[in-house]
Amino acid sequence: MTRLAVLLLAIVALAPVALRAQDPGMSRAFEQERRGNYAGAADAYRGVLAKRPADAAALLGLERALLPMGLSAEILPQARAALAAPSASGAAFGVALRAYAAAEEPDSLRSVAERWAAAAPGDETPYREWGAAALSRRDRPGAATAYLRGRLQLQRPDAMAAELAQLAFADGDFEGALREWLPAVRRLPGYRVSAVSTISQAPDSARDALLAAVDREHDFTARRIGAELRARWGDPLGALERLRAALPETRPVAVEALRGLLDQLRTQPGREARVAQARALELIAERSPDAERARLRLDAARVYSAAGERESARRMLVGIAEDRSAPGTISSGASATLVQVLIGEGKLEEAARRLAERRGEMGGDEHAVLQRRLVVAYIESGDLRRADSTLGADSTVDGLALAGRLRLYHGDVRGALERLKAAGPFAGDRGEATDRTTLLALLQPIEADSLPALGDALLQLARADTAAAVTGLERVGGGLPPDKGGAGLRLLAGRLAVTSGQASDAERLLRAAAVPEAPGIAPAAELALAELLLDQRRPGEAVAQLEHLILTYPASALVPHARRRLDEARGAVPRT
Amino acid sequence: MMRRRDFLARSCAGLASLSPTLSHWRLRSGAPWMLVPMDDTQADHLKAYGLTFRLLEGGGRAEWLLNYRNGSFLLPADATISRDAALNGITTEALDDGRVVEIRGEVEGGNMDAVPLEKAPKVAVYAPPNAAPWDDAVTMALNYAGIRFEKVWDPEVLGAKLKTYDWLHLHHEDFTGQYSKFFLTYAGAPWLVDMVERNRAMARQLGYPSVPAEKRAVAVAISEYVRRGGFLFAMCTATETLDLALAANGVDLAAAYADGTPMDADASARMRWDEAFAFQGAQLELRPTVPVYSDIDGHQVNSPERRQPLGSFTLFNFSAKIDPVATMLVQSHRQVVPDFYGLTTSFSRRTLKPGVTVLADEPGAPWVKYVHGEHGQGTWTFFGGHDPEDPQHQIGDVPTDLSLHPHSPGYRLILNNVLFPAAKKKELKT
Repeated sequence: MTRLAVLLLAIVALAPVALRAQDPGMSRAFEQERRGNYAGAADAYRGVLAKRPADAAALLGLERALLPMGLSAEILPQARAALAAPSASGAAFGVALRAYAAAEEPDSLRSVAERWAAAAPGDETPYREWGAAALSRRDRPGAATAYLRGRLQLQRPDAMAAELAQLAFADGDFEGALREWLPAVRRLPGYRVSAVSTISQAPDSARDALLAAVDREHDFTARRIGAELRARWGDPLGALERLRAALPETRPVAVEALRGLLDQLRTQPGREARVAQARALELIAERSPDAERARLRLDAARVYSAAGERESARRMLVGIAEDRSAPGTISSGASATLVQVLIGEGKLEEAARRLAERRGEMGGDEHAVLQRRLVVAYIESGDLRRADSTLGADSTVDGLALAGRLRLYHGDVRGALERLKAAGPFAGDRGEATDRTTLLALLQPIEADSLPALGDALLQLARADTAAAVTGLERVGGGLPPDKGGAGLRLLAGRLAVTSGQASDAERLLRAAAVPEAPGIAPAAELALAELLLDQRRPGEAVAQLEHLILTYPASALVPHARRRLDEARGAVPRT
Repeated sequence: MMRRRDFLARSCAGLASLSPTLSHWRLRSGAPWMLVPMDDTQADHLKAYGLTFRLLEGGGRAEWLLNYRNGSFLLPADATISRDAALNGITTEALDDGRVVEIRGEVEGGNMDAVPLEKAPKVAVYAPPNAAPWDDAVTMALNYAGIRFEKVWDPEVLGAKLKTYDWLHLHHEDFTGQYSKFFLTYAGAPWLVDMVERNRAMARQLGYPSVPAEKRAVAVAISEYVRRGGFLFAMCTATETLDLALAANGVDLAAAYADGTPMDADASARMRWDEAFAFQGAQLELRPTVPVYSDIDGHQVNSPERRQPLGSFTLFNFSAKIDPVATMLVQSHRQVVPDFYGLTTSFSRRTLKPGVTVLADEPGAPWVKYVHGEHGQGTWTFFGGHDPEDPQHQIGDVPTDLSLHPHSPGYRLILNNVLFPAAKKKELKT
């Protein structure tokens, strides 16, 4: 505890007593101190102490007033007088210790501490305060002397262990710190968080030795500390496994330990941390009563699913679905998560069956969302017939947006446009809305009502076959005039070719899109081409392209972006 | 004062001779005039300087309309300049002859002046070969504006090359040879190890017994460059350490880690301030562990017990027709500019020599920010702080991207200094 914290605690503890006493001298002193007149407050406290040398509130007040003035050592006369009183209080001893430390009188400091210890046998406080006073002067050897003296006098090997652990750590003796923390935590389990927090800051080079040292201990306290250190040092699965192997039969102790590790794992990124979280939840669920068990399994399933552990997620969810004691809401949530997992695994027929079976248990919105996910999954599998039948006559804006895409994949450009426009800007999330707007911009210049080849090409794109999509889009775009959709399709094909690493195809397609006949598309095509050239370390050509864009289309919204790229290409600003 | 009057007379003569030249060119080409406004209508203040510089570099001429719309430029429009402005997003306004005449009338009637810009100065930046390209505000400003420059270091300064440049910039070089006094604080840091090795090798190569001795020789060569007519612009700790090195004639002001001998205990009393550009009477910091050189810097950023908070500095107003040099150096669309730290952030008023012109200060504070003066036939300008758009600048900070600060008033002050020599045509005496 810092010196300031000690003083603040003293204010809280003693101020009400003093105020109750209605002592005019004390009231004046408090008032001066409150106003920040520390010199006046010190004088007032000295006045009180002249009459009552052992008044702890006045003594602590004087110490507070002197501290901000840098005059802490000036309290010595009052501290000596307080100690001379028949029954010196702990506060008087504490003030005297700090005053002798400030005055840099180590012998007197030690003498007061010994006297305090004799007055309070068996108490660690005198040695703790002695050490703290030494530390306040950055005297670590002095603090170590105080703590070791305390351990010797108190005849307990775990006495002052936490303090010695912190000293050892500050000195770079990490294994020594661990040796002290273990008995400290065994005696006072509340120290565990501080112990783990401190030791976890040890450098990489010391960690293996620390883990080996903690593994040599066989008690649960040590195993738990070892597990939490492993979690902090990037081995979440190892942490959980160590803890699981050491878990006691006593349910509350085991659950409390698992929850402690879970809290730590939740702050960590990465797949392994998520898997460890899910396993911890599963272990807690195994030790929990029915209703709580179902909820914990559901949580575990969600985390497994997020970590990509679909088998484990499904195992949890099936368990809940078959658990007749699980509450309805949890059972419904489990069903929804199970459908998502099945969709993610590509088991679309089973997902459709589960969705149909659980329709009555789910809310309407939840069911509709899952149904649309299933439609998307059917599209991505290439099964447009099943996608059509699953979507049915969904007239929500999200349903219309999906129906528009489906019409497009069938080659029905006009039908797609109508539905996408009807869906408006509010369907789906922001990304989906942006994609829809981009699609509308691509389709609107096209005069044909039906273009099955375009539908095929975009379906290939939805199925993540970029190479086939590029080929298809180029073929369709080549058959359309530049200002009637041809340039836009080539630009899209060029961008896709860039992302799939087909640089020469991309350059050819982007140059074909950057034609003056399509002034709405050309600036974007020129910018994409310039960025491709920059990526290919062809800065001269990129600069020429960017200059052409800026000078030819000065009103384009892409000009600021082009200027930025031009600055980068010229080395005028750092590259982003 | 004599020199300013001379300058005014020459400027007026130059203007009179320039205008017909420009008009002749304009009539022949049939192109209109082009105004590059420098008030809040300008889309990119910093690149506007580059546009003007490139025009001069290509043999063209321009006028700097001091205090007219915050220091606008009048250029003869042609296809090349129009293209350059369009590519760089610089705001320009086409003017016919009638409007130009109106503007000249406004300039004549107010605290304004038209200064002809005749020749692009040849610019040198003093930097070691391994200097990070993004760690010097002037280098960043020059790169962003598109102003060509060359790098020079100790061999060029101590050799014959320096005199081939019109304008020299110094940034955070430590001319006391103590590696910015980071030697102990950052001991072992790779960049410091590299800096120390490079400087020691250079001192050995040039035949000096220590880095402080070699850096003082560089400082003296720079002083001589200015005395013979060079334009010097220094920022950050180069300002303070250059003057300290110059004044330390026969005084050891380097710590033992730099030259093997401790600093003279009475160094402050023995400094020969008459050899310095701007400062006098400073007290030196004797502790080698404190990255502070003296009490010249008002802010003392690296001294926890003396560090002062940042405020704002205010640019002075000068008479454009009587003090065109000072007026050029403070052209800005903002009169009050947020301050920024550097190893040397500001200059204590108490340590300024009497003849120094203060261009900007923090009102009520005991320090100034931006000062200017003459030395022999040349001039020097000192600007405190490291990076106007990175007020707290820490080692390892991400580089400042000036495309995000195209209106930076602090960077404008730097670029005023780059164009200033273009207005003051002068041959360096060799």
